[in-house]
Amino acid sequence: MVSISRRNFLIATGWVAAGVTGVYALSKHAVAVAPTIIFPDETSGAAWVQIRPGGVCHMFFPRVDMGQNANSGLAQIVAEELNIDVEDIQGVQPSTSDVPPLAVTAGSMSMTAFSRPLAIAAATLREGLRDRAAVKLGEPVAAVLDDVGGFQTSDRRKVSYADLVDDTGLVIERESDQAVPALYAFDSGRQKTQVGHPKSPLGIRDLVTGGRVYTADVPMTGVLYGRAVQPPVRSAQIASLDTSGVAEVRGVVTLVEEGDFVGVVCTTPRAVDKAIAQIQVTWDLQQPITEEEISRLIDVDGKMAAGDLEHILQDKAHRRNADWSVDLRFDVQVQTHAAQEPRAAIARFNDAGADHRLEIWTGTQDPFGMQRFASMDTGLSESDVVIYLQRLGGGFGGREHYEVERDAVRLARAVGRPVKVQWTRADEFMASRSRPASAHRIRIASDDQGNLTDWWYGYVTGHVVFARERLPGWLLPVARLSDDSGVVKGAIAPYQAPHQRVECEDVDLPIDLGVWRSLNGASAIFAIESAMDELAVLQGKEPVAFKIAQMQGEQPRLAHCLATVRKLSAKRRLPEAAGYGRGFACGIYDGRCFVAVSADVFVDEVNQQINVLHLCCAQDVGMAVNPDQLRAQIESNLVWSIGMALLERFEVADNTIQSSNFDNYTIPRMRNMPTLDIDIIDQPNLPPTGAGEVALVAGPPAIANAIRDASGFRALSLPIRFADI
Amino acid sequence: MKVRVNEVEHHVAADWRDETLLTVLREHLGLAGTKFSCGIGQCGACVVHVDGSAINSCLISIADVENKNILTIEGLASGDGSLHPLQQAWIDENVPQCGFCQSGQIMQALALVGDKPDPTDADIDSVMSGNLCRCGTYDRIRKSIKKAALVMRSTS
Ligand code: FES
Ligand code: FES
Repeated sequence: MVSISRRNFLIATGWVAAGVTGVYALSKHAVAVAPTIIFPDETSGAAWVQIRPGGVCHMFFPRVDMGQNANSGLAQIVAEELNIDVEDIQGVQPSTSDVPPLAVTAGSMSMTAFSRPLAIAAATLREGLRDRAAVKLGEPVAAVLDDVGGFQTSDRRKVSYADLVDDTGLVIERESDQAVPALYAFDSGRQKTQVGHPKSPLGIRDLVTGGRVYTADVPMTGVLYGRAVQPPVRSAQIASLDTSGVAEVRGVVTLVEEGDFVGVVCTTPRAVDKAIAQIQVTWDLQQPITEEEISRLIDVDGKMAAGDLEHILQDKAHRRNADWSVDLRFDVQVQTHAAQEPRAAIARFNDAGADHRLEIWTGTQDPFGMQRFASMDTGLSESDVVIYLQRLGGGFGGREHYEVERDAVRLARAVGRPVKVQWTRADEFMASRSRPASAHRIRIASDDQGNLTDWWYGYVTGHVVFARERLPGWLLPVARLSDDSGVVKGAIAPYQAPHQRVECEDVDLPIDLGVWRSLNGASAIFAIESAMDELAVLQGKEPVAFKIAQMQGEQPRLAHCLATVRKLSAKRRLPEAAGYGRGFACGIYDGRCFVAVSADVFVDEVNQQINVLHLCCAQDVGMAVNPDQLRAQIESNLVWSIGMALLERFEVADNTIQSSNFDNYTIPRMRNMPTLDIDIIDQPNLPPTGAGEVALVAGPPAIANAIRDASGFRALSLPIRFADI
Repeated sequence: MKVRVNEVEHHVAADWRDETLLTVLREHLGLAGTKFSCGIGQCGACVVHVDGSAINSCLISIADVENKNILTIEGLASGDGSLHPLQQAWIDENVPQCGFCQSGQIMQALALVGDKPDPTDADIDSVMSGNLCRCGTYDRIRKSIKKAALVMRSTS
C-alpha cells in the first residue's frame, strides 16, 4: 500500500476540495492485515467530518450499516459537538477509495471505539470555526458563544457556519500535542440536545418504502447472473465433478472451473438454478463431518482427565479434589447467523483507462479486507480495486470474508461482463462459518454457610477467531499458541472463591467456524450461570441474592443489573399453577458490558411445549447515546436468546451440512415472542459500551433457570426441547 | 405477456416467462423493494399482494399472475409521497434494524389489518408468524400494527 498521510489522502480523493475539514498534522498511515483491525485513535476521526459551503455538515460513516445503526449514534455525537440537529447531517457511506483503511465492523466496538475520535474531530472543527467567527465579528474568541448551527455574541449578533465557509478547501490542522477541545457529548453536567435523545435512524424511510439499499438491489446495465458451488467445508477438495449436463441448459453463457472453484454464468436467474442443478460434485474431506466426530473432538471430560487443558486462564490455589457441591457438564450446540439477506455481490471489470479496473458492490463487515483479497485474487493492485459498500441485511459476525465477492469476481472475469451473484439460502447454510459446539465442565464447592470455596471450570470448543478459515495457514500455528480472543470471551466468572481455576482448549472441528454474535460469551456464561443457579437451588437460596453475595462486592455494576432485573420481574406476578417458573442470569461481556436477564416460562404439558412468557433485561450501557437504539439491540438479543435456548441447532451428518433452510433450522417467529420489559442503566460519565451482542450472554441461562424453576429439570445441553423434560 | 404492478402495466419479455414473480419484479422490472431470502415460502420476505391477497412471490410463477393486479411495497405510499399508516407507524416505532425483512412484514401486515381492523395479539401471532425477522424486531412490529390499525380505524 502506498504510504500516504491522511491529509494527502483526503486531498487526493477530493474530499477536502471545498469547505472546512479537520485534519491532524500527522503522517501516520496504516497497513491492513487480515482481517482489517485498524482501530481509530484520537486522531482518526479528524477527516471524517466536514462543513461544506452553505454550512451543511457532511460526515463519512465509518461503520457498516447492518442494523445496529451505529452510524446514527455517531452522527448524534457529531451533531452535539456542532450544535446542530442530527437530521441535518448528510451521511456519506465511503467507498474504499474515499478513506484510509478502517477496522472491520464487529464486536460491538463501534460506539466504544469511534465515539471519542469523532467527538474530537467535530469539536476541533467547531473551535476552528469559532476562531474564524471571532475575526469576522471583531470580537475576542472568548466572546464568541455557541448558537444553533453557528455562533453568536452576547448582544445577539449571529454568524452561521454557512457564513464562515466558502468554496475554497480549508483544512483545520491540530498538532497532536495540542489539547483536546471541550467535548460536549462527554460532558455529563451538560444539558444535551442530541446525545441521550431517541432519534430515528438515518435513512429509515428507505427501509419501509422498498428503497434500493442492499447489494442485490443495485441496478446494473448488461448484468449477467452467476453462482458457484459451495463445498460443505472450505478445506474440501473436489473428488469428482460431472458438468456434462450444463451445456444443455438454455441461457448458459459459460461454465468456469478453476481448481476447486466451479460456477456458471447465465442470462437469467432461473437458468443459473437449472445449470447449478446439473453440476454433480463429490468432495474429499480432511475430517468426517458427523455429530460423533464433533462430540469426540470436544470431549471435555476426557481431556481434563488426561491433564491440564491447553490454556490456563485463571489459576488461584487450585485444588483438584474438593468436595464438589455442583459437578455438571454442559453442551452447547452449533449455531449459524442465518441473516435474513442471503449474500450477494456484483463485480465489474473495466478497461485499462478507467478509474478502477475492478469494481465490486457488496455488503460486508470488512470492505478493506475485500479490497485486499480481491487484489490478491486477481493480481490487480489494491488501488485498482474499489468496493462500494452496501447496507447489510444482517451481519452478526458472519460477513467478513471474501467469498460471495470471490464468486462474482471470478465469474465476471471469465465473461468480461458485470456479473451478479445471489447466494441461495442453501448456499448460506453450506458456507456458514458457525459458532462452534462446545462442552463445559463446572465444579463448585462451598462451605457450611454456602459461600464458594472452589471454582473449577474447564471447557473445550472449536476455534473462534483463530478458526482455520479466518487466518492464513502459515499464521495458524503461531496464532494458536496464544489465547483465541473469541474462545476466552465470558470464561471468567464474576464470582469469588479462594480456590479458582479456569482452563480451556480450542480444537479444529470438521466444519467451518467463525465469529457469531457474542463469540464464546453466550456459551460460557450459559454454563456458568446454570451451575450457579443449580447451587443456589441445592442450598435453598434465592438465586439473585446468592449470586450478588458471591461477587463479594467486586462487581458493583453487574450486581446492580441483577438487583434491577429482579425488581423489573416482580412487576409481573408469576402464576402459582404447576408448570410456571422464573429464572435469572447475569453476565459481563468483554469485560466492559454488564447485563442481567430474567425469564418467565410455562412448561406446557398439554401441548408439549416450552413457552417463554416474559423477559426482563437490565443493562448497564455506559453513556446511553441513543436509548431507543440500545433498547432495539437488547430486544434483538433477547429474541436470539430464545433461539439459542430453545430452537436453533445446526445439523450435520453423512459428511455434509444438513441444515439448509428455515424449515430445518428454526429461528424465532412472532408466535415465539414473549412480552419484554427493558431497563437501560445510563452512566453518563462512562464511555458507551455497545449493545450489539451483550444481552445474549444472559438470556439463554435465564430461560434454562426458569425451566428448572418450573419443572425441576436442569438443562445440560442446548437447545432445550420439551422431550428432554 | 403483461402484468399490472402498482397500477402500471409492464411487458414481460419472453426470456423471463418461466421465472417466479419475485425474480421478475426484482431483476426484470427493477422493483427491488420485494426481497428474496429463503425461496421456499418459509420467511415472508417476498410478500406482495395479488388481486388483494398476500402471497409469497417466490412461490408463484409469473405466468400465473398474467393480467392480475399486483401491489408491492413501492406502491404502498400515495403518489404524493405520503406514507401509508403502516409505514408511518414503522418509522414512529423505529422498527427496522437491518431492514431486510421489513417490506415483507409491512405487506403481510397490510393483509392483516385489511382482514381484522382491530387485530388481537392472537391475530398478529397467527398472521405474522410466516414472516421471519432475524434481527428480532417482532415486539415493535406488533406495536406498529396496533398503532397503524388504530389510525386506519379512526380515519375510515
Ligand atoms: S423468499 Fe419467499 S417466503 Fe422466503
Ligand atoms: S430487520 Fe433485519 S431481518 Fe428484520
